[in-house]
Amino acid sequence: MRGMALTLFVLVALSGSLAASESGEEFFEKRVRPMLHGQCEKCHGPEKQKGGLRVDSRAALLKGGDTGPALVPGDADGSLLLKAVRHLDPDLKMPPAKEGPKLSDAVIGDLAAWVKAGAIFPAASAGVVAKHWAFEPVTNPPVPLPLSDEVKTTVDAFVMAKLRAAGVKIAPAADKRTLIRRATYDLTGLPPTPEEVDAFIADSSPDAYAKLVERLLASPAYGERWGRKWLDVVRYADSAGDNSDYPAPNAWRYRNYVINAFNQDMPYDQFLREQLAGDLIAAGMPPEKAAEHIVATGYLAVARRFGGSKVDADFYLSIEDTIDTVGKSVVGLTIACARCHNHKYDPITARDFYGLYGIFSSTRFSFPGNEEAQRPRDLVPISGNVAELKAFEAEFSKLDAEVKRVQAELTEKRKAFAASVPVKLASGDIPNGGKQDFGVGDLAEPESLVRMKAGEMLQLTINPKMDYGADSTQIEFEIVESGGTRTWSLSRDVVEHFADPHDESRFGAWCLLDATAAPALFTRLERDAGKHAGLHVRRGSAEFPLVEAYTPTTPLKIVNATLAPRSIIVHPAPKGDVAVAWECPADGAFTIKGRVIDIDPGGGDGVAWKLERRPGIAAALNGALETTKLRDAATKKRDEFAAKKPAVDMAYAVAEGKPANARIHKRGEPKELGDEVPRKNIELFGGQTISDPASSGRLDLARWFTDAKNPLTARVMANRIWLGHFGRGIVATPNDFGTRGAPPTHPELLDHLATKFVESGWSIKAMHRLIMLSAAYQRSSAADGAPSADYARFERRRLDAEQIRDTLLDLSGELDRVPGAGHPFPAENTWGFTQHNPFKAVYDSSKRSVYLMNQRIQRHPFLALFDGADTNMSTPVRNISTVPTQALFFLNNPFFHARSEALAKRMLSLSDDAQRIAFAYRLCLQRAPSEAEIKRAKNLVGTYQAELAAAAATASQSVEQRTLASWSAFARVLLGSNELLYLD
Amino acid sequence: MSCNACSRRGFLRSFVAGSALMPGIMSQLLADEDPLAPKQPHFPAKAKRVIFLFMTGGVSHVDTFDPKPQLFADHGKEVKADHPEIQNRPGYERIFLKKPQWEFAKHGQCGTEVSTLFPFVAEQVDDIALIRSMNTSHSNHFNATLGMHTGSFTFARPSMGAWVSYGLGSENRNLPSFMVIAPRMTYAGAQVWASDFLPAEHQGTHVLPGGEPIANVARRAASTRLQEIELAAAQEMNAEHLAMRAGAGGDPLLTARMRSFQTAFGMQTEAPEAFDLAKESDATLALYGLKRGQTSGFGWQCLMARRLAERGVRFVELIDTGSSENWDSHGDMMDHARLAKNVDQPIAGLLKDLKARGMLDDTLVVWTSEFGRTPFNNKADAKGREHHSWAFSSWLAGGGVKRGIAYGESDEHGMRVARDGVHVHDFHATILHLMGMDHKRLTYRHSGRDYRLTDVHGDVVKAILA
Repeated sequence: MRGMALTLFVLVALSGSLAASESGEEFFEKRVRPMLHGQCEKCHGPEKQKGGLRVDSRAALLKGGDTGPALVPGDADGSLLLKAVRHLDPDLKMPPAKEGPKLSDAVIGDLAAWVKAGAIFPAASAGVVAKHWAFEPVTNPPVPLPLSDEVKTTVDAFVMAKLRAAGVKIAPAADKRTLIRRATYDLTGLPPTPEEVDAFIADSSPDAYAKLVERLLASPAYGERWGRKWLDVVRYADSAGDNSDYPAPNAWRYRNYVINAFNQDMPYDQFLREQLAGDLIAAGMPPEKAAEHIVATGYLAVARRFGGSKVDADFYLSIEDTIDTVGKSVVGLTIACARCHNHKYDPITARDFYGLYGIFSSTRFSFPGNEEAQRPRDLVPISGNVAELKAFEAEFSKLDAEVKRVQAELTEKRKAFAASVPVKLASGDIPNGGKQDFGVGDLAEPESLVRMKAGEMLQLTINPKMDYGADSTQIEFEIVESGGTRTWSLSRDVVEHFADPHDESRFGAWCLLDATAAPALFTRLERDAGKHAGLHVRRGSAEFPLVEAYTPTTPLKIVNATLAPRSIIVHPAPKGDVAVAWECPADGAFTIKGRVIDIDPGGGDGVAWKLERRPGIAAALNGALETTKLRDAATKKRDEFAAKKPAVDMAYAVAEGKPANARIHKRGEPKELGDEVPRKNIELFGGQTISDPASSGRLDLARWFTDAKNPLTARVMANRIWLGHFGRGIVATPNDFGTRGAPPTHPELLDHLATKFVESGWSIKAMHRLIMLSAAYQRSSAADGAPSADYARFERRRLDAEQIRDTLLDLSGELDRVPGAGHPFPAENTWGFTQHNPFKAVYDSSKRSVYLMNQRIQRHPFLALFDGADTNMSTPVRNISTVPTQALFFLNNPFFHARSEALAKRMLSLSDDAQRIAFAYRLCLQRAPSEAEIKRAKNLVGTYQAELAAAAATASQSVEQRTLASWSAFARVLLGSNELLYLD
Repeated sequence: MSCNACSRRGFLRSFVAGSALMPGIMSQLLADEDPLAPKQPHFPAKAKRVIFLFMTGGVSHVDTFDPKPQLFADHGKEVKADHPEIQNRPGYERIFLKKPQWEFAKHGQCGTEVSTLFPFVAEQVDDIALIRSMNTSHSNHFNATLGMHTGSFTFARPSMGAWVSYGLGSENRNLPSFMVIAPRMTYAGAQVWASDFLPAEHQGTHVLPGGEPIANVARRAASTRLQEIELAAAQEMNAEHLAMRAGAGGDPLLTARMRSFQTAFGMQTEAPEAFDLAKESDATLALYGLKRGQTSGFGWQCLMARRLAERGVRFVELIDTGSSENWDSHGDMMDHARLAKNVDQPIAGLLKDLKARGMLDDTLVVWTSEFGRTPFNNKADAKGREHHSWAFSSWLAGGGVKRGIAYGESDEHGMRVARDGVHVHDFHATILHLMGMDHKRLTYRHSGRDYRLTDVHGDVVKAILA
């Protein structure tokens, strides 16, 4: 019902005409806007856009809805708006009958008069958008107060101005122990050592604190702490995020790039440009420099993946995710809201969105692999001889194609087996070390004989059951022809000839088969296996299954297995069968007998066996054998060539793709394409189109978004840095500076910070100095009447997940400070993750938590428990929870208990109880214990020890065990205390 | 629950009240200001808690709860459909109707038809409001599973259990308000029970059938007494820390963490007690098809759901299988027999047990899958069925729900909804309504916008309300 698409509800009637006494603007404001704004916008405004129409701006009316422009200025009769309210079109009666009566003639008259007069619709009053603070240029507000003892820095001037106006009590400066603890955790994520605390307290020079800040900023731990904050914002993860969640093995390079960039104090604008377009900036740089720049674009490559069953089908969602993250992280805007419709609240249109969309759809992202294509591709080489690599890859893909071709041929040939339906004659199941005889047919009873035609086969198959270990199975198999003289015996016929090279697993009527899939003759022979003379092995391309012939006349014991003289032994594969078959040479009637013996009682669950009769497939078997050999040869050739792969490090990064503009996806539906949109900046930032149509446009984007005049970039990052220090932002919604975000509590301070930030050459470390040297940062957290609002005191906060884990490892003396690199993912050539069996792993490590492997489909259990970042979407602020499952961690978790015990051992290396307690307090809490605390600690250890001795469960422990256990309990009390977990 | 408060008080008194610091801190610790404190619903509701039974992989509606005589009759007939499962799929250029493999019969007083796959549940139809016109927005497992849990088919959002916990709080703070008993991860992993942007207190606590159902809940200290000694020392240290810092205003962060240890302490006892079936009678175990000593299986999960519901857990979800070896019977529909057998008696047992204890009146039981299965396949004699998002069946039973009704219809072949369609968003709106909440008013401000479980959709299915 296309006619219904333009639905206008006009419920309030005002009458009048465009009188001479009223200006066009006044008329509009009095008679038209109240009607449009008060009533129509309910369905055609920011909340809803029925039929795709908004009526809250002239541009919106001109653009119209799904049925076309609603407004033709000057032409009332030609405007759909009027046509609708006049009920001229039966399919387009507005408001619709069920919603209300036709508008009065007076109201319609007003509308018509307004349209005829040119439809004046003043832009400034189109809402608050045009005047939104964050879209105005950054100002450099005057510093409101002179510097003094209380107003240590310009930052304080802004903070104090507001506090003085409020007339609230202001907390005193924090003591030095509190301050070094706060600053050290803040900048490095780790506690200060007792020596560092002593040195700081002893340093009475006026710049002692400034020196402390410098020392901390210079520590490599700084980047590990503040880099992680950026990784939160960019929803960094080491896996794809779609239904099978493939690992992204080289994503770690980007993680380390971020850490290094913070440590080097890379100018923030450069940092952003490298992440958005490092590969393009790198052109012409020396290889090492270029590599870093390429790695930087991991920022884009770590985009979340969706769907997963089909390659590329859902990539449009990854592009949306990219735009969402770029918008939030760089400029604090929820641009992705414009995917389905113009942004409801901010001046961002669908054209803006698809202007950016084209830039990213012209970019090639590294692909981690998914359910359909289970190997990564489009990784970007960053070292070594790239030309050589390309040549290698070209040759490799040829060899690989040949393997696949022969494999396909083989599969085709093996269809004969699939078509051959076996008839089961007998079957059995023997326990570990057991044996079983079988027999079919009795020469004395002709009815019982097995009648077979030439070319039919008898196949004896051995199955490993659940556990394939120690499944060496001796088989005996004999066939006797009725009325004839011929007999066939597996051991008699085969053992002797087993090592003949020309026999190819066929010995007259006998075939030795790999039955893991469709049966195939074995292709490989190993003589004197394991240096056992006369023990020969036949197998296919894998280690198992196999068939052995033991040819000597004396038994041989290998571990638990005993090989009988002149016997045939088979061993199945972990999940596959092995078989021996006999091909009937001429029509006749036969008896069959045999025996299956598990000759290795070393373990496992025995084997199952079955005897089947199947149509002749010998020809196919032989044909398949030839092809199998070809396949194996081709595989060998390919795999040998693979070893020659040039050593080239790869980055999970982006590169230029095929440059093309995008078309609007109507209502976000990628199948409903609308107008093509040129690749361009968003209108809010100028709307420029890209400079080089042959490029994706990312370089332009990087410049637009990092322009020093951009009203948002510096403000957004200055706010993040402030947030990092104080636990809350000047803007409480750090990812949303739009009209729906929180307004700044200190707008002038924010602009002051943003100005200083740009002036400093976008130095993040300069911002730390500016903020941390303020009196506001150094205040006590004690309440004592000072409110937490507006920074009258420092706000106490819990350590975050990484700080907790790193602290536990550090205090127990177990923290490995060497930076992490890649993760121990399974080898790529084994990947076969699916939505039913997605990739899932947790890797233990004693490195800092920033180096832990972070998945998307499941979160790291520790990080998830303590409110770590969401790996699926940008986390601007960690919302710290207090839940009982965290308390259970401190009561019962093995990792926590192990760290506590390690700390207890450190204490026990000291001889005296008081020393131990003092050591632990100074180490964990950066202070000496009080006399009362020493007494209580001794009391705890003593009571605990006495209880251990008294309790039945622990009475048998040695004194040493009890001592360690009771000091471990004391360590747990300290490591789990609020004093340790909260920063004052 | 007053008895829990008593035990917390007792815990506190015995270990921290001896100190001179205590009186002021004591009252802070006992204050009910945590996010899980019980809240009033928007309007009075019969249902106080939910037991959500999720069948992973896509249960075939035409073989279970949606009888289609015409599908039997038209077996092998070619049909045309612009179906998401066959678009651009080689070998699926032509599709043919495939008859159900199980017979249907009327059951109960109400005469609702159920197939022979669910003989036990069939006996309970008089307590069930069956919906035969369910439909969803996606036919991939990942998206549809996420959608059924969070209302979002692509992006991570809070789970329905988290929303219910957020809206109503918990009646027992010795246990989490939202618990998920699942032997394995379903599609979309832990996202299906995440609290996402809602406060983390509302996230689902994953209970793994078997040895340690809740992580770290097993007491590591060699005895309770040892742990009490340790905890008393910890709480004393924390109390002193608090007293030195909190001033007159207190510090809710610090007291909340101290309180969390009391809850955890309680959980160590309450959770194992909840998970200990020793006191359940043989008759009750038999109802769920359980052997004594069994600590896994869907029967165990169902009995556990009743026990947790009894203890005031607001939302209990049971997931029957995981992201493999589930109802996704592409290869052979006969696999449904195994999966139905796994859940049929336990579910019927749960309904009967709740009813016998008078709990069915204020407990809402929900049974669903992420989607149904196609009434067709690319060969008439194909053994399996594919994913089907257009129509499927779910049911509700208990508090506030009409009993013994079948609502909505799919068309003659079970292909599309024919009447009274219920989209997943409507399903969610209805569940919230039954819990006393208006799905349009249960909102949370995040990223500058008010989010809700039903996004901008959802209509309460009034016809199934009692």
